[in-house]
Amino acid sequence: MTDLLTVDGLKVHFFTQSGVAPAVDGIDFAIRPRETLGLVGESGSGKTMASLAVLRLVPPPARIVGGSLRFQGRDLLALDAAAMRGLRGKTIAMIFQNPAFSLNPILSIGDQLGEILRWHERISRAAARDRAAELLRLVGIADPLHRLRQFPHELSGGMKQRICIARALLCNPALILADEPTTNLDVTIQAQILDLLEELRERLHMAMLLVSHDMGLVARMAHRITVVYAGRTCETADVHSIFHAPLHPYTRALLDSTPRVDHDYEHEAHPALRTIGGRIPDLAAPPSGCRFHPRCPEATAECARLRPEPMQVAPGHSVSCLQRGSPGVAEIGGRHTDVSAIGALHVGPPA
Amino acid sequence: MGILRYLVRRLLFSVMLILGVSAIIFFLLNAIGNPIDVLMADNPGITDEALAAVKAYYHMDASVGHRYLIWLGNVARLDFGTSITTNLPVGGMLLTFGAETLKLQIPAIVLALLLAIGFASIAAVRQYSRLDFGVMSSALLGHSLPGFLLGVLLILIFAYWLGIFPSYGAYSTRNPLLGSTVIDGLWHMVLPLTMLTVFNTATLTLLLRANLVDVLRQDFIMAARASGLPERRVVFQHALRNAIIPVLTYLGILFGLMLATAPVTESVFTWPGAGALYLAAIQSLDYPVIMAETLVVTAMLVGFTLLTDLAYVLIDPRIRLD
Amino acid sequence: MGAVPPRLRPPGQLRQGWQRLRRNRSGMLGVILITIVVVVALIGPWLAPYTPNDQSAMLGFAARGAPNWAHPFGTDRNGYDVLTRVIYGAPTALAVGLGAMLVASLIGILVGGIAGYIGGLADELLMRLTEFFLVIPVFVMILAVVRLFGIVVVGTWLERVPFLNLSTIILLLGVFGWPPIARLARAEFLRLKGMDFVEAARCIGAEPHDILFRHILPNALPSLAVVIALGIGGAILAESMISFLGFGDPKAVSWGQLLYFNYQVLKVAPWAVLAPGGAIFVTVLGFNLLADGLSDAFNPRLKQ
Repeated sequence: MTDLLTVDGLKVHFFTQSGVAPAVDGIDFAIRPRETLGLVGESGSGKTMASLAVLRLVPPPARIVGGSLRFQGRDLLALDAAAMRGLRGKTIAMIFQNPAFSLNPILSIGDQLGEILRWHERISRAAARDRAAELLRLVGIADPLHRLRQFPHELSGGMKQRICIARALLCNPALILADEPTTNLDVTIQAQILDLLEELRERLHMAMLLVSHDMGLVARMAHRITVVYAGRTCETADVHSIFHAPLHPYTRALLDSTPRVDHDYEHEAHPALRTIGGRIPDLAAPPSGCRFHPRCPEATAECARLRPEPMQVAPGHSVSCLQRGSPGVAEIGGRHTDVSAIGALHVGPPA
Repeated sequence: MGILRYLVRRLLFSVMLILGVSAIIFFLLNAIGNPIDVLMADNPGITDEALAAVKAYYHMDASVGHRYLIWLGNVARLDFGTSITTNLPVGGMLLTFGAETLKLQIPAIVLALLLAIGFASIAAVRQYSRLDFGVMSSALLGHSLPGFLLGVLLILIFAYWLGIFPSYGAYSTRNPLLGSTVIDGLWHMVLPLTMLTVFNTATLTLLLRANLVDVLRQDFIMAARASGLPERRVVFQHALRNAIIPVLTYLGILFGLMLATAPVTESVFTWPGAGALYLAAIQSLDYPVIMAETLVVTAMLVGFTLLTDLAYVLIDPRIRLD
Repeated sequence: MGAVPPRLRPPGQLRQGWQRLRRNRSGMLGVILITIVVVVALIGPWLAPYTPNDQSAMLGFAARGAPNWAHPFGTDRNGYDVLTRVIYGAPTALAVGLGAMLVASLIGILVGGIAGYIGGLADELLMRLTEFFLVIPVFVMILAVVRLFGIVVVGTWLERVPFLNLSTIILLLGVFGWPPIARLARAEFLRLKGMDFVEAARCIGAEPHDILFRHILPNALPSLAVVIALGIGGAILAESMISFLGFGDPKAVSWGQLLYFNYQVLKVAPWAVLAPGGAIFVTVLGFNLLADGLSDAFNPRLKQ
């Protein structure tokens, strides 16, 4: 099955007066049709930038500076502006983190949804209104015609997010980019929204990129998971392998720090919940070599010098870690540098 | 229902405000002296009969408070009295001179708004670019340069040195330009209109750009783009509509102060408008004119503030009346 | 109770703000301009080539003379040296700006602070009062009052008070200029009143005036400083306009007065108008830039 979306070596850099900060410095992932890929990482890992990059909506002063984006076989970076606009909201749609702020406060719901429909498909106002109402019903909103006349401030957070989901589904997209869709909702509503997303994805045959920092959420929703740290991919695998056989030290640390219901903490060697020491690196001055090495319990001198490249260890499972056998590439100067022009220095696994 | 009650409440308060201000002025004026003394000072040879007639006309035998009420009563019937200096009905004078003032002020504001929308949009969309910097610097300079200084500069350069435009007045006393009073009038309007427009445009651009930049940063703008809408639509229908709401307040003030800011403009350009009228009235202590004009100026400010608040309620669905 | 609780303020906020201001180019330009004006005001009169009332040029038929070595800014309609008069106008301008804003700030912070902190009926009443003062047509009123006051004092002891006219203008500008400050002060006090550190101070047992002066007021100052800086520029501008219309103090040397005296000879002696005009522009620009810089310094936006 060919991938729906392939992201290879994506680089997004911030160009500021005080220097260049590589927010995304080599993220790879692929999504197959009708599957959910979870993009997991702490805040500042570059996951949101990566999702915005897919739509080429990276906000200035950031810019896509490298890598490739292929969607349905087309090179997204080569499309002109009009073609890209044709994709947005129609074939690839996005759901944002904060439903309270993702809707225009001075326009009615009907106006906002209708505008998008009438822009992508030349239909009449009445037809647009009906389709919008149909979608509101689909996301579980009763009395849709009334809601269409209301304004965002009159609606609850959960309701607003449902509307944002409906907005994403207006033109039957093939891919949904969901950036932390439940983070800003009440806990009681979160489960409802997640169930709704899963059900709709299934029903409408869509693929989904689910960006999150919550391992538990991703475990429930995703088929495959890509773990990112400080703008780089650490590990990619299907959900079972990630949770039961994680390879990358960061993945392991993340899992260890997530409380689990099936763990008997009392009789463990370490009864306290493990945390990851240190803090995420300053984007403007990232660590040399492997970005995780300052916090990694298994780091060696090599890890500070060489940048690990992704290596496939099993079908569908790849990891970027020198200690797991990944090849490493020398970095110049410790700051971001594109080493593709320089011959890679391969370091094999210890004999 | 809600709107009506709000309207009534605001109207009542506004009327109270206007009455309060007019009362203050009236008592102040009368504390200084009365028109009789002025008249006597200006006309030492005035006859006793004429004096008595004037005294009766101004109800000088009544108390100050009584006189104020009489004046109020007249005003309610739109009778603003007669000017002491010209003996013409004040109401008519206000209309004539006021029209000259509004002839300049209204186009200045409208033009400024249109220009500001243009400049601010360009600057905000290309934030941090050289274009943005250029627009912002010009706006800041235009805002800081006192209007009347700009007027003086304009006269110096375009009227005296280049001789393109006239340096004073609203009309030529003889030989209207190209034989048409309309064209002649417009020709005279150019410099003062430029002066007013520059300042208003600068201030509005600064305000609007700041708002636009804030709005463009919001999530719903990103969401609109992610839905595939073209940039122009996103900026004008979504961003500008939100950004312009706070600017309404300032617009309301601009309209409200149209007559209040006139004295300086009309001094610089010797323009025969309500401002010049007011200055003359103060110099010659023409009480009816002073009273009437102060009343009108206050009423305009209060009225436009009320209109602005109403506009907010109608335009922004988030605003509830309280 | 025991010792007075220490000032509870986010540490280094003022210093952080100052550092941000230093990096803000327009703000620093404003500071430079204002410093120039202040320096001119303070030591200018000592260095000025003539006294402001020296009309010797008139005697030598050199009135309305173009700038030359003897008179770097030329002479004006009455034979005064323009440079000297512009220099002497600086302290007047600063007196007007600072004086008016001092009055306005005192009244405004008092009114707004009480309204914001106490709330309730006091708030309602004070806000109605503020609204009332807001709609008074300030400029128009000041013209009327100055003129009338000028007539009233004739023949009274007040007439001999030096710079009475100017002082009246300063006072009036302050008395009519407090509403915007009151509004902001009220908003700030309301906002700060609900913050945790105020709650903490109350728990320790701090008294209301302590809370107001040592905790809330210092935190409200940054925002107020912006409006006050703008107000100083505005007051200087207002005075120059009042003087330009002929209602200024003939005994005080102010830039607006210079404009008024020399407007008639604009065509033949433009320097006599341009010099004071330029001085007004530079000063007002300085305060506007300072206000802009302060606003950015204390509410930093992501300027990258």
